Amino acid sequence: MPESPRQSMSPGQGVSALQAEALGAGLPPLLVEAERVAATVEQGVHGRRRVGAGDSFWQFRPYRAGDEIRDIDWRQSARSARVFVREREWEAAQTVFLWVDRSASMDYAGDRRLPTKGARAALLGLALASLLVRAGERVGLIDRDPIGHSGRAYLLTLAEILSRPSPPNASLPPAAELPRDCRAVIVGDLLRPEAELIRLVEGFAARGVRGHLVQVLDPAEVDFPFTGRNRFVGLEGEGNLLIGRAESLAEAYRERLAAHRDGVERLARRTGWTVIQHRTDHSPSPALLALFLALADLGQRSLGRR
Amino acid sequence: MFGLGAIGFSAPWVLMGLVALPAIWWLVRLVPPAPRQTRFPALQLLLDIAQRQETPERTPWWLILLRLVLAALIIVGLAGPVLDPVRGGDGSGPLLIVVDDGWAAATHWNKRIEALEARIAAAETADRPIRLLLTAPDGDDLPVAPPLLDRAELRGAVASLQPKPWAVDRRAAIADLDQLSPDAVSETLWLADGLEDGAAADFARRLRQFGPVTRLDMAPGNAPFALGAPAPADQGIEIEVARPIGDGPRRLTLLARDENGRVLGRRTVEVGAEEPGRSTEIELPTALRNKVTRVNIAEEETAAAVRLLDGRWRRRAVGIAFEGGDEAVRPLISEAFYLERALAPFADVRRAPLADLLRAPPSVILLPDVGQVPAALRPGLEDFIDKGGILLRFAGPRFAVSADDLLPVKIRLGDRALGGALSWTEPAAIAPFPPDSPFAGLVPGPDVRVRRQVLAEPAFDLDEKTWARLTDGTPLITGARRGSGLIVLVHTSANNDWSDLALSGLFVDMLRRIVDLSDGEAAAAEDERGLPPFANLDGFGHLGGVRPGAGPITAGALAETTPGPRAPPGYYGDSSARRALNLSPSLDGLAPLPEMPGVAVELPERAPARPLGPWLLVAALVLVAVDLLIALRLSGRLVPTALGAFLLAVGVLPPPEARAIDAADAAATIHLAYVVTGDNTTDMMSEAGLRGLSAAITQRTAVEPGSPVGLDLETDELAFYPLIYWPMAEGYEPGPVAMERIDSYLKSGGVVLFDTRDVTRGAGAVPGLGGTAGEALLRRTLAQLDVPALVPLPPDHVLTKSFYLLQSFPGRYEGGPLWVEADASPENDGVSGYVIGGNDWAAAWAVDQRGHPLAALEPGGPRQREMALRFGVNLVLYALTGNYKADQVHVPALLERLGQ
Repeated sequence: MPESPRQSMSPGQGVSALQAEALGAGLPPLLVEAERVAATVEQGVHGRRRVGAGDSFWQFRPYRAGDEIRDIDWRQSARSARVFVREREWEAAQTVFLWVDRSASMDYAGDRRLPTKGARAALLGLALASLLVRAGERVGLIDRDPIGHSGRAYLLTLAEILSRPSPPNASLPPAAELPRDCRAVIVGDLLRPEAELIRLVEGFAARGVRGHLVQVLDPAEVDFPFTGRNRFVGLEGEGNLLIGRAESLAEAYRERLAAHRDGVERLARRTGWTVIQHRTDHSPSPALLALFLALADLGQRSLGRR
Repeated sequence: MFGLGAIGFSAPWVLMGLVALPAIWWLVRLVPPAPRQTRFPALQLLLDIAQRQETPERTPWWLILLRLVLAALIIVGLAGPVLDPVRGGDGSGPLLIVVDDGWAAATHWNKRIEALEARIAAAETADRPIRLLLTAPDGDDLPVAPPLLDRAELRGAVASLQPKPWAVDRRAAIADLDQLSPDAVSETLWLADGLEDGAAADFARRLRQFGPVTRLDMAPGNAPFALGAPAPADQGIEIEVARPIGDGPRRLTLLARDENGRVLGRRTVEVGAEEPGRSTEIELPTALRNKVTRVNIAEEETAAAVRLLDGRWRRRAVGIAFEGGDEAVRPLISEAFYLERALAPFADVRRAPLADLLRAPPSVILLPDVGQVPAALRPGLEDFIDKGGILLRFAGPRFAVSADDLLPVKIRLGDRALGGALSWTEPAAIAPFPPDSPFAGLVPGPDVRVRRQVLAEPAFDLDEKTWARLTDGTPLITGARRGSGLIVLVHTSANNDWSDLALSGLFVDMLRRIVDLSDGEAAAAEDERGLPPFANLDGFGHLGGVRPGAGPITAGALAETTPGPRAPPGYYGDSSARRALNLSPSLDGLAPLPEMPGVAVELPERAPARPLGPWLLVAALVLVAVDLLIALRLSGRLVPTALGAFLLAVGVLPPPEARAIDAADAAATIHLAYVVTGDNTTDMMSEAGLRGLSAAITQRTAVEPGSPVGLDLETDELAFYPLIYWPMAEGYEPGPVAMERIDSYLKSGGVVLFDTRDVTRGAGAVPGLGGTAGEALLRRTLAQLDVPALVPLPPDHVLTKSFYLLQSFPGRYEGGPLWVEADASPENDGVSGYVIGGNDWAAAWAVDQRGHPLAALEPGGPRQREMALRFGVNLVLYALTGNYKADQVHVPALLERLGQ
């Protein structure tokens, strides 16, 4: 989906569900590929190969006392003398838990014409949620929703939550209890020490949670275009740093960033997660597509890497 | 005042602040410019990179220098520096100021007085007593010691200084100085006019006896020019310009004007750098040449740059002695009638009895068919001839019977008839004129026949006295000298009774040749007659009223009179017979001042003391701005593109000037236009005035003009604008190119409203005579244009009825006359291109953006403003519709309305 800067999020503003839906409009409903659906009782589209509540036909069985009269399949019963009851397959929904980084460091855009990282991250998260909800899957926020929600109404709630600032220094989700076999999607700049990231992802993986990391970065953070005498000020109270000639540091910085990304990649490979890189000066559509393919397991794992 | 060279300081103690500069240097060096603040989320990664310690940054040396210069500029600027303070207070003791106020000082008079005032102010500051001595004689012959003047008197004396239209007399000035005691003066300042009068060296020596002498002289290239005597030449007037010294190339414009000041001819003379003078010729047809009464140099405003001409130079006066006779019976074939018609093209003809003619003798006296001059008048007539007059006699029936002997040749009594019933001979034609005859070059037509003539007695000198003959050899015209005059006899009659001569064009040519032989009108004037002064030149060469102190001069002495306080240059006599006394003939020996040992020479053209403080502070302000930009740039708040754009905008921003709109716009709608004079108040008022007028016109008429347009006469195309408003503003005098453009604009049908805007400050706006500053300016402006004859607006002029019926044309002021062309040329639809007045119309029309009037009127009232607007409406419609309303078709309707 083509996107001009004007259509993109303006920095500092909350995301709206409509915008996110528009972004996902070009994609089919996202049915999460689930070998094992999270152990929840929620009705969904993933067949459990046993009798239960669902839409798909499973088997006919002879009527037994206690069966509901409305369950009798009259057409089948008419073919013979016995009365049959129609049983359906139990279909459950997969739950995807989201984390969108809303910390102070996300409220940054290197250029006034670009959206902030936070706005872009929220847009991606909401668009994903919208796709999932259209498929009937359930969506929740890590550390906020113990179970997933379905239905479009939740999108509005989600948009409202994402447009509020988070508690300070919450760049990464806490190691919350997630249902087994659910999916996790973490959208943020991931600019935390590698050790912190490893602890988090391995903690989730140990509970059987598969997940996807989306790293949203500003082009200024990637390219480091600064020159001359600069006092760099952190956004989360890391202090500041005075540099006489910023251009002399550019090369070292780019190497350090590449090393950090490498570390995240390695972590993902080890735990079976995927990493998707995204820059705010690029259109959000490719990132969303990559996320879509990763969740649906339709493409190769490398598809989202840039 | 403390000072360094040409720069003085009004508050020198502020300069102590310069001591603080090293401290400023130290401070500025310690405090480097603030770094750029950059928010950066990935700071953690940066912190991870091995850090080297940043050395504290020093301020760049050029920034230190900039700030030091800035501080120094402010300190020096506040100390009140003044460039070139006039240091008149060097000496002490009484100062003698000598002003040469002769005619030559009139060039650059204002500059001279300004220079003088600056030095007087300096001397007053030093509290020196001042004596003032004027070297041009003022008619009071007694030597008077230059008086000691207090400040008020001096101010008054300097303010009333005017150049005199005669030369200085330094010998008299020496006599004045002799009245002073040697210690009455310690130093002398001499504002010289640059001309030697024969006593300059003595004068300087006398001045030096008192103490040091400083002479203020004009720079080279400013020597005054004088006009020589004009002489008639083949194609016009030959005249000479001269100056005392060839001190640089000059370009002069000579203007020949008639009685009303109208320019008849002009000539530009280039005088070479080394040439003291040059002779040139103003080309004029003979008919115009006779009308010239004044020649002047446009660039020079002195009495010597004007040459007045009188009747001696102009067309001859010819008197026809006429006693009555049969004129009343047959007016169309009388001799006098023929003669008058033949003479009128080139001479002023007076017809009077001979006795009256002799009382105020003309150049030529004609006696048609008079046999005997009355004995009582004969001595007078002889005297007239002896003094250079011409007596021209014609034969006729009475003459043939009894001719007296006041003739060039002896005449045989009785006449000779050629042809006719009783004669074999044919009427004779005129033989070709001999080359030594006054008529040489004229060709007698074969059809001119002489039927009767009187015959001369044969004499041995008859041949040489004969100017014209018939084909049979008999004399037709004879002439002889008598005294310094001439007696000429035409042997046939002055009418067509005896010949066809009086009917032919040849007659006119022959009469002109004879009249041209005469000396001039006053040649035979009575020498002893006292001529009262009639009009005098002032020091700037303007002809005005009679100067106080001017007395009568006898006609005979006029030629030898040197102009002075008793006899200022100008016209003497009365309006009918006036004689000119010119300054320039007494200026044969124009010579520059000689070298004078011990006299310091200075140029008066020094710039007045000019305070530099404001300029230094402005420079400091600019540096502050530059410093600010640099600081912004260093702290990263200003990107280079923005800086460039800002500097570009500052540099390229066009000055807010009134500009003419482009041609397509100008041609699409009607725009009223005004001349941009460069004087802001005037231009603003013109713009507001025309805006108000445009609004009124849009409201009241079918004309819907666009917004007013300011015109630069030098560059803008004028052809698009039907009406141009030209307010006279001091200091605005467009160059020759602009004048040429406006001239062609006027000639091709444009209308210009010239507004002197100062009718209350002087006499009415009368072109050609003295008046206010605006009028002087107007006069100078119009002098460069080819102005036709102007008249006060006639009451039936189209301008009084082109939209409203008007009889008065008030603007801000009331009652000033309005002048228009007398006979507007038909090719411009009879529209007068020149509309001249002084009522300051723009001020009366002017409104602000909300339509409220801007200027108060005198005497005031809404009616005056309304009438002013009506005049404006009329003028615009006049410019647009021409003589439409003059059309006879509308006369009945107009009459009817007028009747009501």
